[in-house]
Amino acid sequence: MSEVNQETVQFHNVSKFYGEVLGVNRVSLTVPPGITSLVGPNGSGKTTLMNLMTGLIQPTEGRISILGLSATDPEHFFTKVGYCTQFDSCPKGFTGYQFVYSFLRLFGWDHRKSEAAAWSAIERVGLTEAAKRQVAGYSKGMRQRIRLAQSISHDPQVLVLDEPLNGLDPLVRAETIALFKSQAAEGRHVIISSHVLHEVDLISDQVILMTGGYVVAEGQIKGVRSEISDHPMQILIRCKKPSELAARMFDQDGVVEAKVHSDGGGLLIKTTTPDRFYLMLNQIALNNVGIETVAPVDDDVNSVYEYLINEGDVR
Amino acid sequence: MNPLWMKQVGAVLRLEIRKSFLSRRGWWIYLLAALPFLIFAGHAIQSQFDGERAVRWKTAGTTADKLRKVHTGMKVSELKELLPNPFQSQQWDTRRGEQEFFVYSDGEHIVSIRAVDGEVERITRRGSTCDPQEDSTIFAGVFQFLYLRLFIFFGCLFVFMNLFRGEMLDKTLHFYFLAPLRREVLVVGKFLAGLVATAAVFCLSTFGQLVFLYMHWAPAQRAEYTSMFTDTAAYVGVTALACLGYGAVFLAAGMLVRNPLIPGAVILLWESINGILPSTLRHMSIIYYLKSLCPVDVPMSQNTPPPLALLASNVDPAGPVVAIGGMLLVATAVIAYSMVRVRKMEINYGTD
Repeated sequence: MSEVNQETVQFHNVSKFYGEVLGVNRVSLTVPPGITSLVGPNGSGKTTLMNLMTGLIQPTEGRISILGLSATDPEHFFTKVGYCTQFDSCPKGFTGYQFVYSFLRLFGWDHRKSEAAAWSAIERVGLTEAAKRQVAGYSKGMRQRIRLAQSISHDPQVLVLDEPLNGLDPLVRAETIALFKSQAAEGRHVIISSHVLHEVDLISDQVILMTGGYVVAEGQIKGVRSEISDHPMQILIRCKKPSELAARMFDQDGVVEAKVHSDGGGLLIKTTTPDRFYLMLNQIALNNVGIETVAPVDDDVNSVYEYLINEGDVR
Repeated sequence: MNPLWMKQVGAVLRLEIRKSFLSRRGWWIYLLAALPFLIFAGHAIQSQFDGERAVRWKTAGTTADKLRKVHTGMKVSELKELLPNPFQSQQWDTRRGEQEFFVYSDGEHIVSIRAVDGEVERITRRGSTCDPQEDSTIFAGVFQFLYLRLFIFFGCLFVFMNLFRGEMLDKTLHFYFLAPLRREVLVVGKFLAGLVATAAVFCLSTFGQLVFLYMHWAPAQRAEYTSMFTDTAAYVGVTALACLGYGAVFLAAGMLVRNPLIPGAVILLWESINGILPSTLRHMSIIYYLKSLCPVDVPMSQNTPPPLALLASNVDPAGPVVAIGGMLLVATAVIAYSMVRVRKMEINYGTD
């Protein structure tokens, strides 16, 4: 049995089965401080791994420790760990402030301490003005942010975030990423899951790629990125004038394919240089082509994993 | 108890009590608690009204003694001779024959008499003064058959089964499971919240029912009925213990099964056949202890229907100390089991 490290997140041969259905299988990992991204297509086991980490589910086999603590000792464990889940629900009738405040009262904190910590966390996610409104009336992005506020409200050493950038608009997304970076800069663990590799590879110190319940690659982001740099990424741009946009796209370096979406309301782009593409898109957006949304296409992410798995040399 | 745990129980209580009292899905519990209260309140108001009418409708020569002599099968001519001054009399012909209707009052009771073809067929007596013995027996019947076995039972089933199961359905249980809170402390906090909510609603209803029951008795009858206060304390106490016992059982059931109808039906059946169970098994039911603590027995006769006789039978009742101690022991054992279960509980909203 390996030693329990007081400074890392450790998985020792962890498996989780739901009856005969595989959740994750034989996962052994050591996650150091910094931003770590768990990336994989839907159903790859990211949420299962996070739920295992925080004790919401229990492993069928294996052992997990976070900073030397186990979720079976919640009194100590959850003072160090904060988890922003994907569960989009909140106790009924709560305002954003009550949601965070009530959570902190469960720590045994008194009113003043809980109130101060709640407002501080709400301010950090930029929801101060909406804090007294009921969470039920929040937009998806606001609900995401109030859950984030709850998870950081007690100043945890380890922050586990399940798809935290989902539903956020570009400005809030940038602020949220800055928040993650500041947490990591203070020597904390920030573990983020995403099904969009490009979304997290710019901010991650390390990445864990998952598919079908298995970890297929892990390590420093540069190493993993180089493995997929030749593989084009597919992006769907929803806009009013897709044909006009397609004509402009063919002139750009790195765009290997552009085709109008089958519903006529968007353009599918394949690019080998997504970073440059996003920068260039900002310029094109100024030319009155009516861009509504820009999103990486899931199927393409799946193909990245297929590519990695088929390559077989990254495990 | 660890001071941290006490603070945490307090925090859970604050959250859960609000949910228990203000749950939109739980409005019918208030209805369950209000129904028997309304029955006894209605009875008291009706008696008061009848009393006032009896005074107004009193006629000369009508006395309580004479009214008691009226019986079915009596000839109308004999009735008119005995009580010549009815407050009201009517006569009409139907296919059944000549029908007559008389109303008398002696100032306290109103007696309505219906006669067919010159013979008294039906007598209805109403009045302000009730028989305390009869009233307390009626209350015991309503309390044991209806209130304990059905209203409190189903009220507790809803409140306590939803403490964990409801959170699973609403996908909010992780709110607690991600806090630095021992799950055993969560069980205690949630159970206490359910207990406070159900006990407050049902005990208040029991107290209100008894207030209305005693209120319409004449002052002399109230003075004569010496066990009024002890009965009230006993009934309110039994109500609170029922919430405790059924609450503990349904809390555990809510962790074991998803469908509340199954444990509800099984436990209702178990509680119903308690009277015919062997002694050891009888001690493993909630109703055994509750019936033992009820201050008034429901009298059974040979005419009592067998299902009611089965529900009311209380062979080998336990003494108060054994009943309260046994009840607390059963509840503690079930809560301890819930604490073990909750440690293994997983958040699995997808399949719930």
